[in-house]
Amino acid sequence: MEKIITMMGPMLDGVYVTLQMFFITLVLSLPLGLLLSLARISKYKPISFLVETYIWLMRGTPLMLQLLFVYYALPLVPYIGIKLPDFSAAILAFVLNYAAYFAEIFRGGIQSIERGQYEAGKVLGMTYVQTMRRIILPQVLKRVVPPISNETITLVKDTSLIYVLAMNDLLRTARTIVQREFDMTPFVIAAVFYLAMTLVLTWVFNKLEERYAAYDE
Amino acid sequence: MNMLRLNNIHKKFNHLEVLKGISLEVSQGEVVAIIGPSGSGKSTLLRCLNRLEVIDQGTIEIEGEILATEDTEGKCQYVSEQKAREICFKMGMVFQQFNLFPHMTVIDNIIEAPMLVKGIKKDIIIPEAEELLKKVGLFEKKDSYPSRLSGGQKQRVAIARALAMKPDIMLFDEPTSALDPELTGEVLKAMRQLALEHMTMIVVTHEMAFAREVAQRVIFMDNGDIVEEGTPEQIFNNPQQPRTQAFLKSML
Repeated sequence: MEKIITMMGPMLDGVYVTLQMFFITLVLSLPLGLLLSLARISKYKPISFLVETYIWLMRGTPLMLQLLFVYYALPLVPYIGIKLPDFSAAILAFVLNYAAYFAEIFRGGIQSIERGQYEAGKVLGMTYVQTMRRIILPQVLKRVVPPISNETITLVKDTSLIYVLAMNDLLRTARTIVQREFDMTPFVIAAVFYLAMTLVLTWVFNKLEERYAAYDE
Repeated sequence: MNMLRLNNIHKKFNHLEVLKGISLEVSQGEVVAIIGPSGSGKSTLLRCLNRLEVIDQGTIEIEGEILATEDTEGKCQYVSEQKAREICFKMGMVFQQFNLFPHMTVIDNIIEAPMLVKGIKKDIIIPEAEELLKKVGLFEKKDSYPSRLSGGQKQRVAIARALAMKPDIMLFDEPTSALDPELTGEVLKAMRQLALEHMTMIVVTHEMAFAREVAQRVIFMDNGDIVEEGTPEQIFNNPQQPRTQAFLKSML
């Protein structure tokens, strides 16, 4: 028992790193994903093509490769090369990657709204932006809650990838202790934490779905 | 007074010409019914009026203001987006599929555009919206979501929503075609009421009884052209064109 208590100090530090990665990535990548999805459906071909290419790159390469690239290779790029501290590099890679996935979820949601909704907005004198903001996006939010929930739960566990930058998140901390003490308890603690986090998120998203159930379509 | 003037409207979908030079004038307070087989271009014509469809050629004038016209080379030019929007919201539209906003209650559906587009304050528009709901007989439904309403009720809300923008012209695109037969009556009643109040109305419809009874002018369209037009009396009792005769016969 005493042993567990001494483990908890560094484990909680690891939890803190994991939670920071999770929340900062989520808060930045959701709005960025929404913006990207709007650019993706833009009628200006160069813009939508650019975003399409971006999404292809982000979904077509491993997140771990992107992490390594931002941390090790970005500083070597001529002119724009900057050396980021490990935490900022990790956040940048995660936000860029998750925004691409969220963009595709939002795009699916936007394109699932019937054309009649746009037409109703238009004949009532609304601009495209007003129609989007007041008519289309509120309905999109309801439809994308399940896939966003899925992606968010994946993010909790993906944060463990930052071990490649030697950052002490929950899982890396656990492994360090296991290797030092020859005791598997830290793995169990880590598993319990990830499960608890998923439970909380599932609850939050269920509440959101309930709230949106106020209207049917 | 001329509310609407169309001259030589042409419209193509890819290579299919759906409107082949339509000209039409509608005066204030007139109720015009457009009838014809499906694919005749009647809905497209209506949708061209408020630029849900863009015309390829011709002139559209709404209440004396030009929406689209031809330049010297005969190419169709629309006025600026801002101007076009101002011209078009003088026309209310009711769709076959209602197109109510499902995430808003009935009352919010009605007040949204006046508040957002015209900047009318909520405490001013709410009583007006409630008045409109009473008029279409749905005041007690004001806090319901559209999914709780029958088709006929939805369409009456859609009419109230369009009227809340205080349009000068109302366009109806087959307003009863998606309804169960026993629900068409309540919608037609609301439209009849509007006609009695001298609203200028253009109604694309398959309801021959309604066209005969309420319209002052009936237009028969087929294959992208106006084949024949006249009073309901002339069109229904004494059609001149063989295509009109054949169509009316098939409707019986």
